[in-house]
Amino acid sequence: MTNKYNVCDNSRGAKSTAAACVITPDDTTALGALIKATIDDQSVNVPMGTTILEAAKMLGIRIPTLCYHEDLCISGVCRICVVEVEGMRNLQASCAYPITQPITVRTHSRKVRQARRHILDLMLSTHYGECYTCVRNNNCELQSLAKEYGVDFYRFGHVDKPKTGKDKSSYAIVRDEDKCILCRRCVRTCVDLQEVGVYEAVNRGADTRIGTFMNNPMSDVICINCGQCINRCPTGALQAQDPSDEIWDAIDDPAKHVIIQTAPAPRSAIGECFGLEPGNPLTFEMNTALRHCGFDKVFDTNFTADLTIIEEGTELILRLYKALVEKDQSIALPQFTSCSPGWVKYIEHFYPEYLPNVSSAKSPQQMFGALIKTHYAKMNNLDPADIVTVALMPCTAKKFECNRPEMNDSGYKDVDYGLTTRELAQMIKEAGIDLLNMPKSDFDDPFGTMTGSGVIFGATGGVMESAIRTVYELVTGEVIEGVFEKARILPVRGFEGVKMAELTISKVGPVPDILKHLVPDWNWLKGATLKVAVAHGTANAQKVMEDIKAGGPLSECHFIEFMACPGGCLGGGGMPIPTNESIRAARAQAIYAEDEASEVRKSYMNEAVLRVYKEFLTDGPCGHKSHKLLHTEYMVRGKKLI
Amino acid sequence: MQVIEREKLLNRIDDLKQAHGTTRSALMPILQNLQDEYGLISGLMMQEVAHALNIHPVEVEGVASFYSFLHPNIKKGKYVIRLCQTISCDLMGKSRVARQFENELGIQFGETTKDGLFTLEYTNCLGMCDQGPAVMVNDRLFARVTPEKVPQIIANCRRNFLKSDFPQIVPSDVQKSGPLLSNKLKHGDALKKALGMSRSDVIAIIREAGLKGRGGAGFPTAVKWQLAGAAVSDMKFVVCNADEGEPGTFKDRYLLHEQTDLMLAGMTIAAYAIGAEKGFIYLRGEYQYIREHLNQAIEKRKNSKLLGQSILGKKDFNFDIELRMGAGAYVCGEETALIESLEGQRGEPRNRPPFPVDTGFEGHPTIVNNVETFVDASLICAMGAKWFMQHGTEKSTGTKLFSVSGDCERPGIFELPFGISVKELLKEVGGQDAKAVQIGGASGRCVPRSEFERAIAFEDVSSGGSIIVFGQDRDMLKVAKNFMEFFVEESCGQCTPCREGNVKLLEGLELLEKGECSSSYLNELIKLGHTIQIASKCGLGQSSPTAFLSIVEHFKNELLGRVQTA
Repeated sequence: MTNKYNVCDNSRGAKSTAAACVITPDDTTALGALIKATIDDQSVNVPMGTTILEAAKMLGIRIPTLCYHEDLCISGVCRICVVEVEGMRNLQASCAYPITQPITVRTHSRKVRQARRHILDLMLSTHYGECYTCVRNNNCELQSLAKEYGVDFYRFGHVDKPKTGKDKSSYAIVRDEDKCILCRRCVRTCVDLQEVGVYEAVNRGADTRIGTFMNNPMSDVICINCGQCINRCPTGALQAQDPSDEIWDAIDDPAKHVIIQTAPAPRSAIGECFGLEPGNPLTFEMNTALRHCGFDKVFDTNFTADLTIIEEGTELILRLYKALVEKDQSIALPQFTSCSPGWVKYIEHFYPEYLPNVSSAKSPQQMFGALIKTHYAKMNNLDPADIVTVALMPCTAKKFECNRPEMNDSGYKDVDYGLTTRELAQMIKEAGIDLLNMPKSDFDDPFGTMTGSGVIFGATGGVMESAIRTVYELVTGEVIEGVFEKARILPVRGFEGVKMAELTISKVGPVPDILKHLVPDWNWLKGATLKVAVAHGTANAQKVMEDIKAGGPLSECHFIEFMACPGGCLGGGGMPIPTNESIRAARAQAIYAEDEASEVRKSYMNEAVLRVYKEFLTDGPCGHKSHKLLHTEYMVRGKKLI
Repeated sequence: MQVIEREKLLNRIDDLKQAHGTTRSALMPILQNLQDEYGLISGLMMQEVAHALNIHPVEVEGVASFYSFLHPNIKKGKYVIRLCQTISCDLMGKSRVARQFENELGIQFGETTKDGLFTLEYTNCLGMCDQGPAVMVNDRLFARVTPEKVPQIIANCRRNFLKSDFPQIVPSDVQKSGPLLSNKLKHGDALKKALGMSRSDVIAIIREAGLKGRGGAGFPTAVKWQLAGAAVSDMKFVVCNADEGEPGTFKDRYLLHEQTDLMLAGMTIAAYAIGAEKGFIYLRGEYQYIREHLNQAIEKRKNSKLLGQSILGKKDFNFDIELRMGAGAYVCGEETALIESLEGQRGEPRNRPPFPVDTGFEGHPTIVNNVETFVDASLICAMGAKWFMQHGTEKSTGTKLFSVSGDCERPGIFELPFGISVKELLKEVGGQDAKAVQIGGASGRCVPRSEFERAIAFEDVSSGGSIIVFGQDRDMLKVAKNFMEFFVEESCGQCTPCREGNVKLLEGLELLEKGECSSSYLNELIKLGHTIQIASKCGLGQSSPTAFLSIVEHFKNELLGRVQTA
């Protein structure tokens, strides 16, 4: 239980041993030992411990892989990456073989090709299903390899009946074990990367399968719905629960007013589903495409992201005021963010005693839904019963979140459907829309103001960065650019597992109107140092929580951002497949570029937000109305199923 | 009531945590204890043990479901009757015994009687190959079971073994003794000699004697010790691989009984040589009846200052041995799988390199040696390298214990010099008429008559000591099928070639049995066999098709074109 994001240790034995002992190139350059690797007659000098696969990559030689994944510990079980090493009788798995002495390798010899073909034939013999009825058709690693190796018949037969059938019990994740090839990426994702522990290999020999605890359906296991397993599954064995048929039904029903809110991360990545390189956002083309699909309104979730900052920021200020000025011992600090539904379910299961620390503010998705079916409905004389709200999200956990029974403060289900980036791409294709060449169009008013502070919610550290920009300026009356150039708060950016930052408030300004009913002045914050932290991926969240439990440095923080997915929302379980750190970095770069291109980059300056407080939530942030619609409660779930 | 039961269980798990610790390595002993006490491993137990060890419940289930002797979620009968289904017992008529058990109890194998008294199960090699068919009821062994004896066994169970005619320990016959088995060393002799030498001299004498691993792989013992000795680490481990699971092997069971002291001395000598303070004996679950004996022997050595702190007065030499039980998984004989199992994981072999001498138990340098290797190491230290090298060949020094079973006059244990030809060996055991001999167990090779001149040695036909003789009337297709059924069950299930490939080989044999296999498909399966050999992750997978391939190669004519009898 000590694995860190992207760091392997030996705690999982066989699965991670190679990774634990294969010294990564970075570590060994210090040793200065370079070893000559000759692969397919080309040579390269590599640091001691480099794997054959890595060395081949340096030479531009492609070796096929299946169980290998850059985000995960080395497993070496699928054997598709075997190569011939001179002087060795047996083939070696190139992903797991560390080079420790000069080596000569052949990656496509006769022996190797035959072995790979056999391995593929064996996988296909138990892989049930036809490609054209599979969600991963055209984006399946097994299918690609079958094509690459010229599989044109089932040499060792083929199953013609499903053994287990699909498990569709979960709101978020569908399992189709019949398509599983036992690469165990899901196990390593769920246990090592996310520390949730839904899956493990059970039984032995030919009976081996990937099991859930007590073979429970996905709805009844401790799953946070993050969907990271889906993103790393090489086949269609793991999929998201797709609502697009219901959404089409709503669109086609003239009595329904169908609105879609779009989160910042999907726009940064949807192009990947249409062949674009990662890092090419299609925000405005996507808006047009959504209208072509038939959505009546296209809104920007940034609006409620900014609203979240105001509500959550205010809540933080109130907690600090009560704790520091009123000396109220019962106030839970640090305050934790609540926008990531994967994280919320994680803490409900694993650290329920810390639920008082979680901000009661709903996530932007749910705030949006609640406002649409109340404020927006009233403004437009619509019967909320006729409104269908769809949320385009990078996330599978949002599908679960919108189905939480308490999320109906509008009197209706606040958000009807959570739709992932991948599923929208499918809808766009089905509608025959050429997304890449769509004319650009803006979001609809009144909730369409695009702000940079909302956009960066899509990357780890983004919520914190937005919060700092707003809180700092509201408290000091000075611009953040005086402290951080171009409002780039670099200490909270990047993919380091846990980031910490401090910000000293050396002077204070007047309390702005919007908060005057809550605090008399800011003097109590003068000279204070605000301590914050950011964690992404629940294995890192676990690290933070354990540190807090032990009274470590993180327990002294005032505010901590948690995102369930590695990289934040841009690495969400509903984002295009594949994923790896460089893809996530490209998406992040797109998100930060969009931030800098925005006119408004601070939540409290979002006109639409200010208008809502003026016209609808008239008792201000954290007021009675906002509490009813924009805040929620959590459930102690615990980690006992039995 | 339920709440009270729950409380009781939680308290019990707390106690077990005290006894075994809270690292993951404690998982197997805790599960074994719970199962012994409650008769099953329930979901609640798995969940609570997981939380006690700070792992996920599904990880506990992954482990519990891996081992044949652990049964998650299933309540077994008070008496679990395990009939050995492996080749030697199969040859001796296990099928009829099985049928009779079913007849007597009115249930099928894999089922439990309604009164909860009996469960019938097949098991793989019980190490009673010379006295098959063998049956194990809980921890009691029954040798040479015939259909006629079945009712008596059941009656004995019903009477709670009160009038059992069956002894708990059934020794094997030593048919031929050699320098190892007839040694006259006394308690402590070997260790005293070894501790009189420097650490490097101990390794030097093992090297000089040319000792190679007796498990079958034949890796030079001195090299292993040297590497582990040179590794820099604050902790090192010595592990005795007493997971004798190779079908047809039972010589370690004998050594564990009769040469216990020399084996423990060998471990202690190894610890001295590499600088280890902790040792494990990984004893296979099928041999749990030896447990008490081993613990007593360890205790005795502690009392004689041959184990524990400052051994034989050497201030800086401390070494303790802990006995750990396996739970019915052949693959745990593979050293990295064994280490995984010790760590409380599924017994799945690791990627190599790195090797255990560098990264072994909990990441520390670890040597894993066979029982017989440790006994030999003791003898070499006591008697000298020259004495040891009197026997054997240049590349395979010393004698070797062979476990002989099958169609021969004198099944049992033979101590013979390395280099002996198959023909000579058959003469010793009274099996001159043999049609073929399986050398090295299920993972070994089936040697036909035409190759009986070949020598049993690391440089020719290598063997961990299992010799199974097939008489002229044996159906080699049935033999091959038995081996493949074994591997389909005993593969750890990790890597594709071994997990899926062996199923295809077995299905191919079933086609042959029905007379429905084309020779082109058989050739495809031969090629697949070669792929399994070179592409599997561990030694088990790599050797799993060997028997299939050698039988198909030598007995093709016997296999093809069968006509099914009605």
